[in-house]
Amino acid sequence: MSSAALERQIRPIYDALDTGSNKSAIVDCNKLLKKHPKNELIKSLKALALVRSQKVEESLVLCDEILAAKPTNDAVLTAMMHVLRGLGRHKDTVTMFEEAYKQQPSNEELGAQTFFANVRAGQWKSAQQVATRMYKQFQEDRYLYWSIMGTVLQAEEASTPPAMRTLLYKLAHRLITSSPTPSYLSADRFYLHLSILRELELFDEAHKLIESEVGGNICSTSLSCNELRREIWRLRGLTKEEGDRAKKLIVEKKDRNWLEFLSVLDTTFISKGESAEHVKETQELFTQIAEQDGQKDRSGLLGLLELERRARENGVSFDSSRLVTLMEQYFDKIGDKACCFEDLKPYLTLEGEELTNWTAFLDAIPSSFTTLNELRRLINSYKMVRYNIPQSDLTIEAETSRIQLYTKKYFEALPIGADLPVTELQPADDLALLAGSAYITVWKLTNEERYLFEAVSLLEYVLTKSKQSFLTRLLLIRIYRLLGAPALALEHYRAMHVKQVQHDTLSHFILSRVSMFSLAPIGDITFATECLETTQIYLSNSQETSDFIVRAFTSEKYSQIPEFIEFEQRLENSLQRDIVKMEHVRMRLGHEPISSDIIDMELIELKFLYDRTHHDNRDFNILVNYQPRISEGLNEQTLLFGKGEGLSWLRAFLRLYIRAFQQGSDLDDMVEEKLLIGDRPKHVVEQPPLKERLRKNASDNAAESAQQLTSDELAFVSFADELANWLEPYHDYARPPPAVVLAEAAKQTVLKTGHPLKGVEIPPQNGTNGSHKKDDEPPVVIEPTEAIVKFFDNAKARYNEVKDNASPIDVLHVAALAQEAFLLFNVETLRFKTASVVKANKLGGLVSSFKAIRINAISVLKEISADLVRRSESEGTSESRKTFVDACTKLITSELDHDFVLNIAKRVSDSRKKVLEGIGKGMGKICSSYSH
Amino acid sequence: MSVLRPFKACDMFKFNNINLDIWTETYGIGFYLNYLARWPDLCCVQEAPSGRMMGYVIGKAEGSSTEWHGHVTALTVAPEYRRLSLARKMMNLLEMVSDEIYKGFFVDLYVRCANTVAIEMYEGLGYSVYRRVREYYGSLGIGRGGRDEEDAFDMRKPLSRDPGRRSVRSNGRDMIVSAHDVS
Repeated sequence: MSSAALERQIRPIYDALDTGSNKSAIVDCNKLLKKHPKNELIKSLKALALVRSQKVEESLVLCDEILAAKPTNDAVLTAMMHVLRGLGRHKDTVTMFEEAYKQQPSNEELGAQTFFANVRAGQWKSAQQVATRMYKQFQEDRYLYWSIMGTVLQAEEASTPPAMRTLLYKLAHRLITSSPTPSYLSADRFYLHLSILRELELFDEAHKLIESEVGGNICSTSLSCNELRREIWRLRGLTKEEGDRAKKLIVEKKDRNWLEFLSVLDTTFISKGESAEHVKETQELFTQIAEQDGQKDRSGLLGLLELERRARENGVSFDSSRLVTLMEQYFDKIGDKACCFEDLKPYLTLEGEELTNWTAFLDAIPSSFTTLNELRRLINSYKMVRYNIPQSDLTIEAETSRIQLYTKKYFEALPIGADLPVTELQPADDLALLAGSAYITVWKLTNEERYLFEAVSLLEYVLTKSKQSFLTRLLLIRIYRLLGAPALALEHYRAMHVKQVQHDTLSHFILSRVSMFSLAPIGDITFATECLETTQIYLSNSQETSDFIVRAFTSEKYSQIPEFIEFEQRLENSLQRDIVKMEHVRMRLGHEPISSDIIDMELIELKFLYDRTHHDNRDFNILVNYQPRISEGLNEQTLLFGKGEGLSWLRAFLRLYIRAFQQGSDLDDMVEEKLLIGDRPKHVVEQPPLKERLRKNASDNAAESAQQLTSDELAFVSFADELANWLEPYHDYARPPPAVVLAEAAKQTVLKTGHPLKGVEIPPQNGTNGSHKKDDEPPVVIEPTEAIVKFFDNAKARYNEVKDNASPIDVLHVAALAQEAFLLFNVETLRFKTASVVKANKLGGLVSSFKAIRINAISVLKEISADLVRRSESEGTSESRKTFVDACTKLITSELDHDFVLNIAKRVSDSRKKVLEGIGKGMGKICSSYSH
Repeated sequence: MSVLRPFKACDMFKFNNINLDIWTETYGIGFYLNYLARWPDLCCVQEAPSGRMMGYVIGKAEGSSTEWHGHVTALTVAPEYRRLSLARKMMNLLEMVSDEIYKGFFVDLYVRCANTVAIEMYEGLGYSVYRRVREYYGSLGIGRGGRDEEDAFDMRKPLSRDPGRRSVRSNGRDMIVSAHDVS
């Protein structure tokens, strides 16, 4: 058959792959392979279709066959690139392209693809080598720059020792100066050049480049180059020159970039003796700018404030009333802008007479308003007064009267925004948020949830007037969780349409400690699904971001490459990502029957997370903070149990689950090494085996753990520890040897794919049915420690302690952890459920002590379960609604009427009922699933 | 007073106060990375001294021969920083770069015909309507705003390379094209 005819027949396979019809692609491939059994392209397309249909084992066989033939055909390479990416085998992609390029060294495209494969795999050293080879061969400048960038990235790797780093930068410097064309031909090459000079502290050379005419032009049009220039000047100690340059820009070009003002401020204080003189000069300059700009720009005014603040710091301020005067002046001019409070915040920390004068000024701001500007002024003054409230005035009475004031003003202010389209935010919103903040303070002071009832009623009302107010929603989400009404929190979260990268930064609002609200045991997997949805973004990151790093190379945007890599890393190693993963595992164990499959799968996933260098991308600043400076911030106040999860929390939970799964699994390191497909994570430093570290790290950073974990969580963690310590020897003894596990895996692979397991040699073993004789005696069975035996009784005692707390979150927390402990116990004892295992290993004594623990655990859980169900019956009743509405009587007016509050009361109470009942029944279900 | 600086990939972790606003779309990470990988100099951020993001602009350069121009893909300012002329400053930068680096003939942007506040602002910056693009924002059906909700004005401002102002016209509001006719 002609090649054109074959091409025609292959086309539909591509189409099928494009439309996701993998099955039909496989069928088509099989048909064609009958006629062309050797055709690499058809094979590679089949491998791709197989990967995409999750038939990994089958695909692997084909894949290895194709790779062994060392393909050079472009279409085959492209298809294989996708196959290997799907399998997570980036290193093999590199090898494949390298082999191809070796065979055709004059093929420029292959060279580029080899370079890109290295870029995708983050292998900077070999990327640089490929680029160097390409430069020699094809004599194109860009390949030289690729090799320079590769060298710099290699230097920047965490694993590069400092001496090597310098060497690499020196190499990069030599290469860039060897370029036949000067770097200033493009801003991004120039950027790369400057960044190398900065690193090597070759400031004179850098300075010469910057001072050249072309260099100057680049810096004046490229913000990135200018950023570098500024830094180099600073490092070089050219503060004065920088200040003069900035002054010129401000005066002549009317540049109002705040960075220029900061440069002028920096110069003002460089020579200690002359500061007073310079302060005067700068003052004149800024005053002039402020007058010129009027209300158009705040830079001059704010510059004056910052100047005064620094003058005080340097002891050259002689007018003690000046700061407040300037602040007043600022307020007069800018007070009607929403950002005035934030602008002045750095200067608000006043004491004594200054504070008295400032507060008097703010108190004199008219509290009546007819225009938007007057309203904004009032709101700004409220925020600033609130910021400086002293401890003595942060009482229940004072805050209650503030709530009344804020609320009253809120309703008075509503008409001002009445004509705005529904898509706009209402200017009055801030007053309600101030009231919301004060409610939180009073709740903190009294621990009475009626204040939270009032807060949600008001804030829900705000949303009827200002539908897009995400700030109101965020506060509501926090309060609903505090009230134990997670469904309502979720409703608001969804209304914000969080998507893409925001899943990483914002999902903590809804997913923090979410397993305690999970109704997965009774089949409601809402929250587990929410966890999975957020993880999409990490998948896109691992699949897409490297393509854009490649694109930045092709378009030679060198300034972006380190930024993209940082972005990729921060998302890949996101703390929130793994916290969510952890929550998902906790929920999954309550939902699916615990089996060795789950244990193996989760073990492999969790193990890789433990050694990540985590980045915290969570956005907590998005929540407003109008609390007084002496008080805790609103974020901290509204966290569940006042404790936010951080690295210590994550490591504590990861550790205990990895340990339990390791014990329960047959996959020891050796087996896993043989069976696992795809690249392993890069390790910066060699460490002792994970198993050893997990055992030792019991108390790594106890203080921080105590800050992030609740006392109940800590109790659970130590229970898990004791349990694992107790059972480790028995697991190690009873676990089948690697050879047996591998033989079983090989058997399964043959059954599934018809091919033997690749690359795994099965050592001969004694016995045929997987049982094996052991040389040593089983470890002596010892009794469980007190901490294990008493855990569930203690949990019951804790439950009774918090039983009468108004909000259900305490009982939910204690109940969820008791249940989790029981599930963990089942993970740890699963191996010993098989009678033959117990018999073969002579561990009958051990199993009988399980029984006692299990019976006790179940009786405790059943008791808690019954009590939760009982408690749920008191929710969702007219009485519970009445309690809620009664708490809000002060709030009820003709606008925010009784029916409105009643409706919210109903929703809160119903949501609580649902979660209490659901968790209670779920516990009952778990008790019967694991009754023996 | 605000810091004008380049848009960086990691700004995606910080832009919630801007992007949670209903009029600002949050795209997939590929959208931002694509712009940054190709036109990083046409993307910038305004930042408050506290480090909080106030607004950003994302632009590109496109077109052939005399249609070669700078394009404003997204321009947005967080609700609390409106009315501070931030948009003006970011537009200045984009125009300067389109002019001096890309040597474009003009800068253009699309705006909802109903968005009179924005249209007036752009007119104040020297932009004028070049044409009206029907159903640019998708067909919403005739809603409260009528056609003005779904149609866009393509607004343009000539740069120094177009001293004869050939890239603009005075009767632009009457020139109606369909969404298929524009890129």
